[in-house]
Amino acid sequence: MARSHRRIMPVALAAAAALTLTACGGGGNFGGDDDTGGDGEAEEGPIVIGAVLDITGVGANLGVPEQNTLQMLADQLNAEGGINGREVELIIKDNQSTEDGAARATTELIQNDDVDLIIGASRTGPSLAMRPIVESEQIPNISIAANAAIVEGSDWVFKTAQNDVVVIQSIIDNMAEKGYKTVALARDATGFGEGIAEMITEVGAEQGIELIATESFEPSATDFTAQMTNIRNAEADANIIWGITPSAGLAQAAYVQLGIDAPVYQSHGVANDAFFEAAGDAADGVLAPMGRLLVADQLPDDDPQLPVIDQFVADYTEEFGTPPSSFAGHAYDAWKIAVIALEEAGTDADALRDAIENVSGFVGISGVFEMSPENHSGLDSSALIMAEAGDGRWNLAE
Amino acid sequence: MTAQKTALPAAQKRAPRILQNALVQWIGVAALVVALIVFPLVASPTLMNIGVFALIYALPAIGLSLLMGLAGQVSLGQASFFAISAYAHAMLITRTPIPEVLAAVLAVGVSMLIALLVGWPLLRLRGHFLALATLGLGFIVYIVARESDFTNRTLGISGIQRPEVFGMEIGNNGLFFYFVAPFVVIGLILALNLTRSRAGRALSAVNDSELAAESLGVGTYSLRLKVFVLSAAFAGLGGVFYAYHVRIVTPEIGEFHLSVEFLLMVVLGGLGSVWGAVAGSFIVELLRDGLRAIIPTIIPGATGEVQLIGYGLVLVLVIILLPGGFVGVVQIITRWVRRMLGKGPSTTARSAKLQGASDQTPTGAFSAAIAEEEAQRIDSAVEQAAANLPEMPTPVATGETVLRLEGLTKRYGGVVAVDNVTFDVPAGRITGLIGPNGAGKTTCFNMISGAIAPTSGTVSFLGREVQGRKPNVAASAGLTRTFQNLQVFGSTDVLGNVYMGRYRNGRAGVLRGMLGMQGAEQRRHRDVARDILDALNLGDVADLPAGDLPFGRQRMMEVCRALALEPTLLLLDEPMAGLSGAEREVLAELLRRLRDAGLTVLLVEHDVAQVMALADQVAVLDDGDLIAIGTPEEVQANPKVIAAYLGTEEDEAEQVLEGVAAVDAVRSDDPKEDDDA
Amino acid sequence: MLVDFLQLTVAGLSQGSVYALLAVGLIATYTVRHVINIAQGDFAMLAGLGAVSMVAGGVPLLLAVIFAIIGVTVASVIMERLIISRVKNLTTLVSIILTLGVSTLIQACMLLAWGAEGRRLPTFPGSDINVAGISIRSQELWMLGALLVVGGGILLFYEKTKFGKALRAVAEQPVAARIVGISPVVASIVAFAIAGFAGGVSGVVAAPLYLATWSAGLLLGLKGFVAAVLGGLVSFRAAIIGALVLGVLEQYVAGYIDGGFKDAVAFLVLILVLIIRPQGLVLRQSAVRV
Repeated sequence: MARSHRRIMPVALAAAAALTLTACGGGGNFGGDDDTGGDGEAEEGPIVIGAVLDITGVGANLGVPEQNTLQMLADQLNAEGGINGREVELIIKDNQSTEDGAARATTELIQNDDVDLIIGASRTGPSLAMRPIVESEQIPNISIAANAAIVEGSDWVFKTAQNDVVVIQSIIDNMAEKGYKTVALARDATGFGEGIAEMITEVGAEQGIELIATESFEPSATDFTAQMTNIRNAEADANIIWGITPSAGLAQAAYVQLGIDAPVYQSHGVANDAFFEAAGDAADGVLAPMGRLLVADQLPDDDPQLPVIDQFVADYTEEFGTPPSSFAGHAYDAWKIAVIALEEAGTDADALRDAIENVSGFVGISGVFEMSPENHSGLDSSALIMAEAGDGRWNLAE
Repeated sequence: MTAQKTALPAAQKRAPRILQNALVQWIGVAALVVALIVFPLVASPTLMNIGVFALIYALPAIGLSLLMGLAGQVSLGQASFFAISAYAHAMLITRTPIPEVLAAVLAVGVSMLIALLVGWPLLRLRGHFLALATLGLGFIVYIVARESDFTNRTLGISGIQRPEVFGMEIGNNGLFFYFVAPFVVIGLILALNLTRSRAGRALSAVNDSELAAESLGVGTYSLRLKVFVLSAAFAGLGGVFYAYHVRIVTPEIGEFHLSVEFLLMVVLGGLGSVWGAVAGSFIVELLRDGLRAIIPTIIPGATGEVQLIGYGLVLVLVIILLPGGFVGVVQIITRWVRRMLGKGPSTTARSAKLQGASDQTPTGAFSAAIAEEEAQRIDSAVEQAAANLPEMPTPVATGETVLRLEGLTKRYGGVVAVDNVTFDVPAGRITGLIGPNGAGKTTCFNMISGAIAPTSGTVSFLGREVQGRKPNVAASAGLTRTFQNLQVFGSTDVLGNVYMGRYRNGRAGVLRGMLGMQGAEQRRHRDVARDILDALNLGDVADLPAGDLPFGRQRMMEVCRALALEPTLLLLDEPMAGLSGAEREVLAELLRRLRDAGLTVLLVEHDVAQVMALADQVAVLDDGDLIAIGTPEEVQANPKVIAAYLGTEEDEAEQVLEGVAAVDAVRSDDPKEDDDA
Repeated sequence: MLVDFLQLTVAGLSQGSVYALLAVGLIATYTVRHVINIAQGDFAMLAGLGAVSMVAGGVPLLLAVIFAIIGVTVASVIMERLIISRVKNLTTLVSIILTLGVSTLIQACMLLAWGAEGRRLPTFPGSDINVAGISIRSQELWMLGALLVVGGGILLFYEKTKFGKALRAVAEQPVAARIVGISPVVASIVAFAIAGFAGGVSGVVAAPLYLATWSAGLLLGLKGFVAAVLGGLVSFRAAIIGALVLGVLEQYVAGYIDGGFKDAVAFLVLILVLIIRPQGLVLRQSAVRV
């Protein structure tokens, strides 16, 4: 079905007039659902990339650096002459960290702005809300959220953040090396902590490590005595605290407070400075798998990611005055993958999707990506290093 | 006969006004329909996005506005019903093969069921308890959705297909807007109908005076419960559309912030106005997007839920400065425009009319037609009144027992206010209940009317025990009352007050009210109410706000209201208090005639002389005990009564009982009885 | 295990002492104005964040804490003068909506001023102790101490002083209050000052342990409110006991059932209490007439 371009003269009705304040390009609200983005699109004119980010709301600390990154990279790209001579227009929408906001923004980008590709969202929930829309509209989407469910079985959705299972793989490998046999888990009760226990059980079984206790805590929780008491009683060889700051930091403080001396692994959710504010001295010695970004200064010189990370950190710091977070890194990877595919395939949706699936050996901030039709995530555990907390920062662990 | 002459033309004159109101409403609905049809054709996609969500959110907002406007209750958990239904619908259509329409109906039903379970115990309590409990419910729903595998925890329910209507997929915002809009319009019409229906009027009467409304047979609790469940149904319907539109349902949609947004829509639109709720949902959605765009430009670096600052400001400012909200502003503007154009019923004309009425009755007499110098007209007025009164049904023969008190006792801690009082009230008679200050008259009266529960003993009305039940139980059986401290329904006019008296005689419930299938019934009752007002010389003020009447006429209006119920037994709480001499005479004569027409009257009165002159039977309470009962003559001769009234000073006591001395001394109520009220 | 049980109890009592201070403030304003102040918890967060900023600016901890408490007390009175007292015919229901607006406003201001991240105040002087395997953080002792001193002080004020007794009576018997010489205006200001003070204290003693965050106040205030309902909204004693019980109950649920359900406990208690015993857990029957 061709997009209808009916333009109906605004009817001079008082009631309607009030509502048409921002109505300039009316008539686009009946875009058919099978109106594929690539259909008969000219392979010329500006390329339009949309982004749906958690710029306001609970995900703001993720979305804002991501927004900065994308804006910076788009400016750089256009300064260099765009993609194959075509200018790139970046349109960023805020989903207010809500599912309906994400659905809204996605619909708007597709129907109003005719985007060729969408980046986002920052977190799992909004990303899942975008998925049915991009699939039915057939627009390639690169999410920068973590949960594997975002891409599972999807033809159109990709993501650049490591799968949780990759992080768990990395923790379990480290545990196995040290000879631990039992592990207890305290996870947060959000989407971030969802399904973690099951993954640990599954991955651990391969290495002979058994999950013997699971506790959960609310992301807004302030007291963790109950959970940590139960963890203490489990007497596991090592424990995992899986959450984001500040709750993961407060949980860490309670852990030390209750005198538990088994080693602690945390997730990549604490790969930031806020963790140290919340955990204080209790942070020392915590192990956490994360991307190389935070420990770039300690990487060996031959690390292939080093020049990429150094360049990005330098650019970002110069532009915004603070070093980039790992979330900014996910946005960087999403942008670069999009650009590689667009250079390769242009703006035809099907060709673009196939091109993303063929991205291979791309060295990004979070790791080296190997996309395929089966794997829309592209990172394995080699993307992660094990970091150890000490002196109020993350260091490369031995 | 003068009153009768004016009655009919007056009614005819006013008929167009009612029509006019209906007309205004239908013009409003028509304008809304046109606006909703045009909107998707002209709106930009950004605006369209806002529009679709505004429509979806308008449904819970309408429900909340009914709850706040009619039931006088606030729900701080409207989002939880929205979420429950969204979840139920999403799970039903993704996990079961049942048809989608049935799934939607079931989903709304689940919301209603939860509302019923929550409202059932909590609506018996005072207003703010429901607000608090629904707030708690909101958090519980959110946490349960987040923690239970059944709802797929934080990932929520996804995979919801777009709806299809007659084989056409609702695949874009424009179509979806048209898909939701009819439901919003129908919901709006149903809600508007409800506010004007028998149930709606009853509930707004409850908000003015719960006791008075219940004394007219309004079952406050069950009506409120129905409205609460109904408001959950509106929220539930919104939830179904949300599930269809966003196609993923996660725990966040049950969160407190969405409940606050719904509340903001209702408050901003205009408290309790159904139109306001729809307007409010569009305003809040526009506000949200506007604020998020504007605030970061004003405050550089502002991130997060920056729109909250606007929400908070707006909420506070509206409540302080514009309690009428958006609708209130529209009303002020319309009034102003009308005055500028010099047409329509201006407020000055209205107050002039009122002024005229009170000019003629500077002492607060209750009828302009009956001033002292027109005493000769009293007889004709009352005669005419009796001629036009509704039938007084007499289910039992004159003289037989209508009301029986047996061993009625009320204790407050160690104090016995009423002690083992037993007597009968015979049909077709006027019974007076008197006693010195603090004797327990009011307590006794309140136990009969159902306002307070006795500690022990029974009150049997027409053979049925009614003690300890809510006043509406006895009222439904034909027992009603007036109030010493007037309880007028200030939110409506005089006619509306008397019309409320017809409540018992109507049958239309919430459902019929919503469907607007009670017009004939309402008109019939309104005519009866008008006849009663005309009969008692209040026809000229029928359209004035009840609170604007002078005291005496308000008292008379309460009598009209009680008579409109066609009671078997009329309880009068100090009906003479505050009336002038002439007014007392007219009221007394009216009561006699009502008695002759078959009405049974029980009155509590300080004016002993009036009671002696009026009553057929007098009961005397002293210190909680029934010390005498009999004809006025018997009671006056009873030495215990004399002693009770003035101790040993029998001379004076006799004087009092003969009505020679003033009885003002007993006017002021004792604090103990105040407590009961 | 007994040690665990006691450990949970200690943590619950400390958490409960924060709820208790908030509940005391809520009851103070409810008894005088029949206002339910949804913003009570936000005042606590405001005090916490204010103290954090002052400490960061070089103010000694003790002074920062005192200034923060005074500041919030003043803010509470300003709210009373500027907003609460401006509304004619303020019913309890309208007060809920109104203070919800205030709460939203304060939250937004905190978000703009301090950002979204939680801030930690330095721990008060003292060292953690360990008694028979039960670890007690020094800050927990400060929290319990604050309840003992401030909560107890407010209790004594209301129950022992003539002024306090009259204050309690204002809502029920304005005449009685006038006889003692308290105007309703003064009574209202004093009540909101007490509420602000108690809220401020709870905020600063909790900030070293629980962090101060712009958005945490609402839930905290609501839990204080649940405690107040346990006291029938009139009894300070019952509310303080209720708050401690609530804090402990939350810990037991988190410890023995599931941590994810911890926040639901308070609201489940709220609904159950409203259904079963709306007059609160007070033994006197006259507490609330339903």
